[in-house]
Amino acid sequence: MSESTDQSNGKSPGSSQPKDTNKEGIPPKSPHGQGDHGDVSNKVKEKPKSLYIRILRQDSPEDASYWERHTITYEPELNMTTVLQRVAAQAKTADGKDVTPVAYDVNCLEEICGSCTMLINGRVRQACSTLVDNLLQENAEEIVLEPMSKFPVIRDLFVDRSRMFHALKKIQGWINVDGYWDAGEGPKQSPAEQQDRYPLSQCMTCGCCLEACPQYTKIEVERGEGESDEAYEDRCREAYSKGFLGAAAISQVVLFNLHPTGKMRAGERLDALSSEGGLQVCGNAQNCVSVCPKSIPLTTSIGRAGRATTVHAIKRFFGF
Amino acid sequence: MEKNASLMSFYYRHEFLIRRLHSLLGLIPIGAYMMVHLTTNASILAGSEIFQKNVDTIHSLGPALPLVEWAFIFTPILFHGIIGVLICFGGKSNLSSYHYVNNYRYTAQRVTGIIAFLFLFYHIMHQHHYGEWLGPYFGMFDPHHATSSVGESFAFWWVKVIYLIGITASIYHLANGIWTAGITWGLWVTPKAQQRADLICFGLGIIFLGIGLAAFYAASTVDIQQVRAEEDAGHDAEVLLKEGEDERLDPTEVPAEEDSSSAEAEEASTEEPTSEAS
Ligand code: HEM
Ligand code: HEM
Ligand code: SF4
Ligand code: SF4
Ligand code: FES
Repeated sequence: MSESTDQSNGKSPGSSQPKDTNKEGIPPKSPHGQGDHGDVSNKVKEKPKSLYIRILRQDSPEDASYWERHTITYEPELNMTTVLQRVAAQAKTADGKDVTPVAYDVNCLEEICGSCTMLINGRVRQACSTLVDNLLQENAEEIVLEPMSKFPVIRDLFVDRSRMFHALKKIQGWINVDGYWDAGEGPKQSPAEQQDRYPLSQCMTCGCCLEACPQYTKIEVERGEGESDEAYEDRCREAYSKGFLGAAAISQVVLFNLHPTGKMRAGERLDALSSEGGLQVCGNAQNCVSVCPKSIPLTTSIGRAGRATTVHAIKRFFGF
Repeated sequence: MEKNASLMSFYYRHEFLIRRLHSLLGLIPIGAYMMVHLTTNASILAGSEIFQKNVDTIHSLGPALPLVEWAFIFTPILFHGIIGVLICFGGKSNLSSYHYVNNYRYTAQRVTGIIAFLFLFYHIMHQHHYGEWLGPYFGMFDPHHATSSVGESFAFWWVKVIYLIGITASIYHLANGIWTAGITWGLWVTPKAQQRADLICFGLGIIFLGIGLAAFYAASTVDIQQVRAEEDAGHDAEVLLKEGEDERLDPTEVPAEEDSSSAEAEEASTEEPTSEAS
């Protein structure tokens, strides 16, 4: 909080700036053709010389977090991963103090793997597909980066999302094809089934839906002194298995239960959904569907899974 | 502490069943009861005799009434209310970061639930004879003077404020609850279906609010003196009717007697409220 005292060197809008942007000719996603909003979009097009980035850092899982301000030179069409690369390479705060490089997770660079998910200006999204020019419309002064708040921080912006993978194990988020013999060709899928399943298959386990969910609360297992990896893993699994599965895993149950081979395990997946931390924890806030970068119809999945789980529970009660 | 922990562990292990029960009870009997109840109260507008007759019908259960009340009203409300409070503690509202309409509704569902909890406690103590021990402004409902006692219970402005808040909150909670229950039970699943259901629930909410406000208006505008007199008259007529039955008289004669007795009752009416208040 106390970092942001040096606001005087925030930005110095030179008079030549607007002309530059006119030459650029690539407006950010602002709504076009709005003459009377001229002053607003002009302010946006006034590109700053430098970018200020405020980052919530944390040295290790046990340490307390702290804010740090960094600055880099502005360039058009930067994405946040590039910004992070430069911030890390520079390893210097805005006041010129040498610091350790900021740690962050990144992999595919095209919004496919989900690993670069973080809070950017308070909203959860992928760094690689977030464009600085759009962020400047939200807040021209600075960009604020925080690690996701629902997962344990490993370091800086790098979090441990293994709880999501535990959830996928719990619901058997796979199709059983391996065996000791050749099972032959799988059953045919109709195009309609494919259409139904395809959107659900796009989930990249990024965790946006969980970050935004008011019912999904953080579980952090502290590592014991000299505890072995296995023992720690076991304790994590134990703790995670009681927490809410979350929208992503619920939706994956629908995906795999729609699959002609996956159906064979449908009952077991529904049992997992009605166990501790199952879909009953959902409170229908529907934030998940609003933030999912892949526009997966999560609340539709929750409704479908809710019905299937209830029918399954009733059937099981009466021994069908 | 230990016992608490094992109770919570029981809750979490059976949460699926408990949450389904919570949802069901919110609709039936609680939601259904509330709307029948508000409609009954709104029947004051149709005349105090009609409301009295409705109350008499309910109270004709006699000694079975507490049984019915506990089985179909108090127990379900206690269950839904206590689990509801637990549910509120299970989540953490994040409105400041995510300004989606449904996120506001999620939080509003919890806030109105808590308001309903407080309101119901006050309301039942205020009206039902269970609340009499709390003082003169509690346990005010008198089944034999149904309309006038409701009117008297609404005498203070702050009572009206409490009821207005309680009624509005409960109705929002029910209308929005029907919508979320439809998702919980998988009745409307696609965004389009949920939108259509949303419109229907909004419409229902407006109708419910109309009924609720009618009940509120009816209870706020009772002409206590006048109604008390009529009630006493009706009461006397009933006694006469009973006597008449004993003497195997033709019950069609009763209306005439009712007329004459109401004149007597009107004289007595000036004393009645004061003797009640003492
Ligand atoms: C006594 C105090 C009450 C509390 C603390 C309370 C609390 C709650 C909460 C927290 C929910 C959300 C549950 C969820 O998201 O799964 C809820 C749902 C609901 N409540 Fe209440 N409530 C109360 C009274 C009432 C009353 C008086 C009614 C009926 C008029 C009612 C009807 C409903 C319905 C229909 C739902 C929807 C269930 C669902 O989404 O599956 N509640 N209540
Ligand atoms: C204008 C509004 C209302 C009026 C005039 C009113 C009036 C009354 C009266 C007179 C009683 C006592 C009944 C008796 O002892 O036999 C009562 C009980 C009760 N009311 Fe209301 N009420 C109103 C609104 C509500 C609302 C919004 C709810 C919310 C669900 C509610 C729930 C209850 C419950 C649960 C009882 C106790 C059950 C019982 O006594 O059988 N009431 N009400
Ligand atoms: S459902 Fe969407 S938001 Fe959730 S993990 Fe998958 S891709 Fe991310
Ligand atoms: S609908 Fe359920 S899973 Fe999605 S954000 Fe709301 S509570 Fe979480
Ligand atoms: S790096 Fe894979 S989603 Fe951003």
